[in-house]
Amino acid sequence: MFLALREMRFAKARYILIAIIMVLVAFLVLFVTGLAQGLAYDNAASVKNMAATHFVMEDNSNHRFTRSQIDEEQLDAAAAVVGDQNVEPLGVSMTTVIPEGETVKLDITLLAVRPEGWLMPELTSGTKFSDLSKRYVLVDQSMAEDGIDIGTVLVDQASGAEWTVNGFVANESFSHTPAVFLSEQDWIDLQMQSPGHPGADEAASNTRYNAIAVKDSADQLTHLQEVLPGTEIITKSEAISAIPGYKEEQGSLLMMIGFLFAISAFVLAVFFYVITIQKTSQFGILKAIGTRTSYLAKSVALQVLVLSVGSLALSILIVQLFKAVLPDSMPFQLGWLTMVITSVSFIVMSLGGSLFSVWKVTKIDALDAIGRTAA
Amino acid sequence: MRHLLELQQITQTFEDGGSERKILDNLNLEVSEGEIIAVMGPSGSGKSTFLSIAGALLAPTGGDVRLEGTSILNRSKLELSELRLRKIGFIFQSANLIPYLKVQEQLQLVANLAGQVKAQSAKRSAELLRKMDLSHRLQAYPDKLSGGERQRVAIARALMNDPAVLFADEPTASLDAARGLDVVNLIAQQVRGQAKSAVIVTHDERVLPLCDRVLFLEEGKLVAGK
Repeated sequence: MFLALREMRFAKARYILIAIIMVLVAFLVLFVTGLAQGLAYDNAASVKNMAATHFVMEDNSNHRFTRSQIDEEQLDAAAAVVGDQNVEPLGVSMTTVIPEGETVKLDITLLAVRPEGWLMPELTSGTKFSDLSKRYVLVDQSMAEDGIDIGTVLVDQASGAEWTVNGFVANESFSHTPAVFLSEQDWIDLQMQSPGHPGADEAASNTRYNAIAVKDSADQLTHLQEVLPGTEIITKSEAISAIPGYKEEQGSLLMMIGFLFAISAFVLAVFFYVITIQKTSQFGILKAIGTRTSYLAKSVALQVLVLSVGSLALSILIVQLFKAVLPDSMPFQLGWLTMVITSVSFIVMSLGGSLFSVWKVTKIDALDAIGRTAA
Repeated sequence: MRHLLELQQITQTFEDGGSERKILDNLNLEVSEGEIIAVMGPSGSGKSTFLSIAGALLAPTGGDVRLEGTSILNRSKLELSELRLRKIGFIFQSANLIPYLKVQEQLQLVANLAGQVKAQSAKRSAELLRKMDLSHRLQAYPDKLSGGERQRVAIARALMNDPAVLFADEPTASLDAARGLDVVNLIAQQVRGQAKSAVIVTHDERVLPLCDRVLFLEEGKLVAGK
């Protein structure tokens, strides 16, 4: 690797220029990946935050929480199979609320959970609701920007139900709308007001949820499916993909990332190809004095490797800086695992881009060093 | 006397616009230890082809090339590359040093390729460059050297792996008379001092007195000078 590094030392300006372009491309790859992940999280944070591994939903609901309906009996049957502590009922409803005394309307998602259950999120401020304190809700922190505070009364546009904000939770959203948590009892009350549930008695005996969250029961899923006809058990990630807009959004972003990868590989390939062609006679001389082709090919590949790893390291630093200064309205998330996967793919793509140059190097003839042999 | 390089019945033909052209025709050459051969001839007489074949860069259409008594025909590219690295030293027309290596690194590169350890190659390269009177230039890049200095670095590089045969392709072409003579003198000293062989392809008649034999490439054959 004698040649590769010394050449970079000698032609600093040239390699720094290439490195700058690679830093920019790598930065863009990481940045868009972070934004995609941030959006994904923002879109489905509440579901992602849930400790559940699987969800039981109604057949033909296309894995969508809002389309599925599950009743009390099914919940009991599920609890009987995997144990009471491993199932939780979940109500999901997208609606519009108006803070009392104001005219703005806010789109929110109601998430009904058991107050003492494991779907209940951590509070950042305020107090938890208990079964006794009816008509209280916990709202996502982002709603504070809309003037919502503890004690604000939210009026549901569809049903007219009123809830008082009792506390805030962090990073809770569903389909890009802030999540509003209400207790199981309030959910039942809300159901009674909807058409199709005229009598209180009937509603009480036939409470409807949207899904059952299941955890720690991977080995009993087949059994669970047997006792719950007319339902399907889906994984958490399947449920997330089915959240309205999630798949489309991620598809577009993934496309951008894919193109960035392809472009970076192409840019590198062209750069190195041009440099390699410029050095044809030099490679010819090196071959004439006995340099193995594999040595030269390795030399080219090593330069690409050094450039891509160095550029990546620098762009990771820049991304971290950006992350620190980005506003909340631009959700950004880049975990270590994603970063490692992205980095490795970037390096692999870069090396792929250098293959053309390596191939060119193998084609160079040592005879070039002696000049035209055909007289 | 041992022959380090033997060319036996070398024939080389090229396809040229449908007709066959014979560049070398039953060419024979034997070079002994410590012997320096000058090869002259007008341009187009096949000097480059002769050098390429003798230097294991090109396989002849017919005939045999023997280096230190063993044939180098029918070898793989990798074996030929190894052969050029260890047994053959090339000195090109315009030095052809690697622009991004310092003088000493030019020599260490070939030692490195041959698997020599660094301490050893550092010592040997410094020693060779001292003989070439370049001790003060070890850390210079080629573009800072004069033409004569560059050619002396090229000689040192060719000698670095202690080859059996040196090939020089017009080594004085880019130098003035005095420096050209110096360079060939240095080659001659090294070859005679270490019992190597050298083949110098040249146009420069001033260097001929330093050579043991002068051959002319005429009609595809090497003939002795008149």
